[in-house]
Amino acid sequence: MKALATQYAPSFRLVRAHLGLGIAGSVAVAAALLAVAWSFDGHHFQARFLGVVHLAVLGWLLPISFGAMLQLLPVLFERPLASERAAWAAFALFLAGAGGFIGHLSVLKTGPGLAITAGVLAAAVWAYAVTLARSALQNRRKVRSLTGGFVLSALGWLAFAATLGFLLALNLWHPYLTVNHLVALRAHATSAGLGFFGLLIMGVGFELLEMFLLSHGAPVRAGWVALLATNVGLVVLCADALWGPWGPAASLGAGAAGVGALGFAWRVREIFKRRIKKHLDASAWMTAASALCLVLAVATGLVVLNADLEPQVHERVVLAFGVLAIPGFMGFVVVGQLFKIVPFLVWMHRFSGLVGLRPVPAASDLLDVRARAAQGVLLGAGLGVLLVGVLGGWPAVRFAGALLFFGAMVLGALHLWRISERRP
Amino acid sequence: MTPELVTQEIQSALHEVFDPETGVNLVDLGLIYGVGWEAESGEAEVRMTFTTPACPAGEVMTDGVERRVALVPGVRSVRVEVGFEPRWTPDRITEEGRRALGW
Repeated sequence: MKALATQYAPSFRLVRAHLGLGIAGSVAVAAALLAVAWSFDGHHFQARFLGVVHLAVLGWLLPISFGAMLQLLPVLFERPLASERAAWAAFALFLAGAGGFIGHLSVLKTGPGLAITAGVLAAAVWAYAVTLARSALQNRRKVRSLTGGFVLSALGWLAFAATLGFLLALNLWHPYLTVNHLVALRAHATSAGLGFFGLLIMGVGFELLEMFLLSHGAPVRAGWVALLATNVGLVVLCADALWGPWGPAASLGAGAAGVGALGFAWRVREIFKRRIKKHLDASAWMTAASALCLVLAVATGLVVLNADLEPQVHERVVLAFGVLAIPGFMGFVVVGQLFKIVPFLVWMHRFSGLVGLRPVPAASDLLDVRARAAQGVLLGAGLGVLLVGVLGGWPAVRFAGALLFFGAMVLGALHLWRISERRP
Repeated sequence: MTPELVTQEIQSALHEVFDPETGVNLVDLGLIYGVGWEAESGEAEVRMTFTTPACPAGEVMTDGVERRVALVPGVRSVRVEVGFEPRWTPDRITEEGRRALGW
């Protein structure tokens, strides 16, 4: 029997296009954050925030997530991609939609252009979600597993978030929603952030951590608690935002999401405890940092919902929540996993053919240890300083934090570029 | 050339094929379940597993095994059998492998 997982992986070009876009996007996001850092204060519904947040999500995090999913899902589900052509079509639509959409949103141009580009973007996201879900559904046994539950619900929330985003863009052009736009926006952000990124990171993170750390036998119960509680929390939070408010429903939903985050953190802890690979690499540390940011973000979310804060303090806590959730929870794990994915792909396509014929470096040997450590320190310090600056309302501190974050992203992009150039 | 000698050579050759993620060779990682060699046909057989059925580097390792074992004197062809019964567990890692993993 030679039933091997590697044969299901899609073409290198498809994955490389997505990762390349995402890595370039990470530098663009850091530059944009630096440009707005001095005025990064006030209510969150402003062009500068909307532009940076959507640039981060659509230009950095989503392309890398799609690239990683296109590579990993066929391997994890032991089935080929349902249609590589559909994935390329989705990529083309995504490029067209995301570019126009971010441009319109950055200047809060709310005309038909915003709605049309949002529609193209939603179509692209649906195309990705359907292609990836069809690929996963080919393996019914795996679909019923913990990973299957996380991946399919993440894709469901992604499609929901994209649809809602399109409806919100239409509402900015021709107002028609009977609910408050900002409250509906909360459902969009929640479903995209916690629904897609959160569930995806949790589900794929469990698989990858066990694989990379050679960890076996961690109980799955905390994982199922994370899946169910997060989904229940998401349903309650989104329903309350769209059709509520219903008394304490939002707090209960956030509480359920908090239980989900704790379930995730608990299972990560169990996996770490059982690891055979004792030396923790930067990728593992970043995943741990991501789990910490998720717990802090949920705690901050509960403060936003429940605490009776001064308006100015409330706005700053909302922004701190955004920093913890986007570059914190999502950013740490994306940067950390790129340390794994990029060297592995380069190794696969340049070095693997020499295995057995002559000594070849391990995939992790392609990384520059000092550059990797420096990026981790810059990223952690940048986010910490940025958080302090946001909460304190200190422009110079925010700028210093954004500068460190920019340094981390530039260093990371250069480092990954050098790895991509490595040859035997 | 006795089957024992060739089998020993194959085992030794497998120490030179490494898991790309951990950098530990396949024997010390406990991935090799058995090795055989048929004198008449010159065919070598390697029975092995992966740490997980969804191992992204699985094919690379089996190809590496094929290429390295084919270089062993007396081997004319190589057959690699991948199985997951019994499932790999960390107990299969040798002392040498554990040291390489930081234990």
